[in-house]
Amino acid sequence: MLFTKIVATSLTAIGLLAGAAQAEELRLYNWGDYINPEILAKFTEETGIEVGLDTYSSNEEMLAKIQAGATGYDIVFPSIHMVDIMLNLNLLAKTDINQAADWGNIDTDFLRAANDPNGDYCMPYGWGTVGIFYNREKSGGDITSWEEFFAIPGKTGNKITLLDDMREVLGIGLMATGASVNSTDPAEIKAATDWLIERKGDVSAFTYAFPGLFLSGDVAAGQFFVGLAGAITEDDNLQYVIPSEGATMYEEAMCVLESAPNKEAARKFMEFMLRPEISVMNTNQQFNGSVNVPARAMLADAIMMDPNINVPAATMTRLQMFEDLGKALKAYDRAWNTIRTAE
Amino acid sequence: MRRQRLFLLGLLSPVTLYLGVFFFGPLAIIAVFSVLEPGLYGGVEWNFYHWNYGRIFGWADGVVEWYEPVYLKILFRSMLMAAFTVIACLILVYPVTFWVSRLPQRAQLFFMFLITLPFFTSLIIRLYAWLVILKPSGLINDVLLGIGLIETPLDMLFTRFAVVLGMVYVMIPFMFLPVYSSVERLDRTLIEASGDLGARGWQTFLKVILPQTLPGIAGGSVLVFIPSVGNFIIPDVLGGAKGLMIGNLVEQQFLDARNWPFGAALSMVIMAVVLTVMLIYATKIVRAGQRIGEV
Repeated sequence: MLFTKIVATSLTAIGLLAGAAQAEELRLYNWGDYINPEILAKFTEETGIEVGLDTYSSNEEMLAKIQAGATGYDIVFPSIHMVDIMLNLNLLAKTDINQAADWGNIDTDFLRAANDPNGDYCMPYGWGTVGIFYNREKSGGDITSWEEFFAIPGKTGNKITLLDDMREVLGIGLMATGASVNSTDPAEIKAATDWLIERKGDVSAFTYAFPGLFLSGDVAAGQFFVGLAGAITEDDNLQYVIPSEGATMYEEAMCVLESAPNKEAARKFMEFMLRPEISVMNTNQQFNGSVNVPARAMLADAIMMDPNINVPAATMTRLQMFEDLGKALKAYDRAWNTIRTAE
Repeated sequence: MRRQRLFLLGLLSPVTLYLGVFFFGPLAIIAVFSVLEPGLYGGVEWNFYHWNYGRIFGWADGVVEWYEPVYLKILFRSMLMAAFTVIACLILVYPVTFWVSRLPQRAQLFFMFLITLPFFTSLIIRLYAWLVILKPSGLINDVLLGIGLIETPLDMLFTRFAVVLGMVYVMIPFMFLPVYSSVERLDRTLIEASGDLGARGWQTFLKVILPQTLPGIAGGSVLVFIPSVGNFIIPDVLGGAKGLMIGNLVEQQFLDARNWPFGAALSMVIMAVVLTVMLIYATKIVRAGQRIGEV
């Protein structure tokens, strides 16, 4: 990882020297570890455009910085509900990326933003699921549902963890009680809260530190992002599953900011990402879902063959995506406090 | 005289300016935001909105905002945790300071260096190191299992014990330094005199040693209490985020709930608690210390 970063940086530097005359550049603002650095190096090599990358760890953080007037960024990678918010706030530029020659590669099912149904502004980037990782031996066999997941500590005495994320955790309660993860019905939120409080005693922690504890065998199972599946391909004992009650899915788009200083370079980069051979480089390194139809035929075997990563249509119907809740978010905040303070 | 005053003014103005801009400025923003309406996507709407406090103290009507006693309960729990940290730090530190104050000068300096050593590394890294030490397959369990003291790994990570351990570990230097400075200045002739006049050991401790070191104890307690009340990283990392502390609640208002004004109101409440503690410190304990000094 570090090595690829060094290579990327030095290639960027070489690219800078080569293209010193025009000195074009492009500044990305992306989630941490959410793009294959080799792609950036390749882009610089091909176009001479120097690429800078800054990272954020939540949609809210990115929005707050852009709203506070952070400038100099060209492309951001908001989740779908954040695309809608940013369009409402007039923060995104119209790109007409849907007029690009390779636009046909994009699976239009992934054009989900209500405010940008045709891709006039943003381009689908990547998507993934948040499901259960489990250690077969320590979990007492295969796990197929959230109900079985919460039963692990009672059955085996081993630990399970959930994400330290309000909506992801409440999402489990909502899905397990048969509601939508975007429900604003107080009775449904109450039922989900009660369902979770009943099981809170079995949860060791709400944490993002799950991968290390899982790989060392200290935690038997946990809720986490599909990308971790890339680290467990060698070990048959460690598995990833999309539970039968459902799982959440996330999807991010590539968007150009209204304040972007290098709109032309940004457009070039989006067209670059439309190419199947580039898109697949990202999916194979990220171990998530592809939005590029021809790229799906080139996926690495470990992704291609795993129905929990390369999700078939039947499983897709069990996935739910977060929407912006507006003022109803308050009800979730109160439910989350109740869960976290429950003894 | 005039020149001296100007000189003093010159020396004091940078720090005054600095505090004015970077301390009182943000403080004023927090105070103002705490009585404004939350914006839909974070930020604020410029309308007066007292319900942020109503949610905490009970006059929210259940239509616009809901009153829930849980917020005061969380605040109380955080204060209890902070008080517990203060006591644990004091019990651990107090005897050690006497030992250190009797070491040769160079050894004392070396000890001070050791106490401040943890500050050379980031807090987050040190906490994750504790996570590695405490986990079932971690260092402590490995050693205990290895020497046959236990049969199955101890369950330490993500427990209340881990949180207290982490808090005490992080806060110990803040207790040590003030207590040490007052123990070091302890007038040993008074202790001898007390003995000569027939006081027993515990009488000497209660009537001579303790009062003289009280300012250091009080100073250290305040220094430990204040950051402990608002701490949210230690309960998150070592406690598994299961017990909500007031600091977590503030963080959550900004990063999850997009409710800046409520987060600001909660911060104001924490600040009120801290100010109360400081006032008690300033009026009662410092004065008590002065009285003893006068006698």
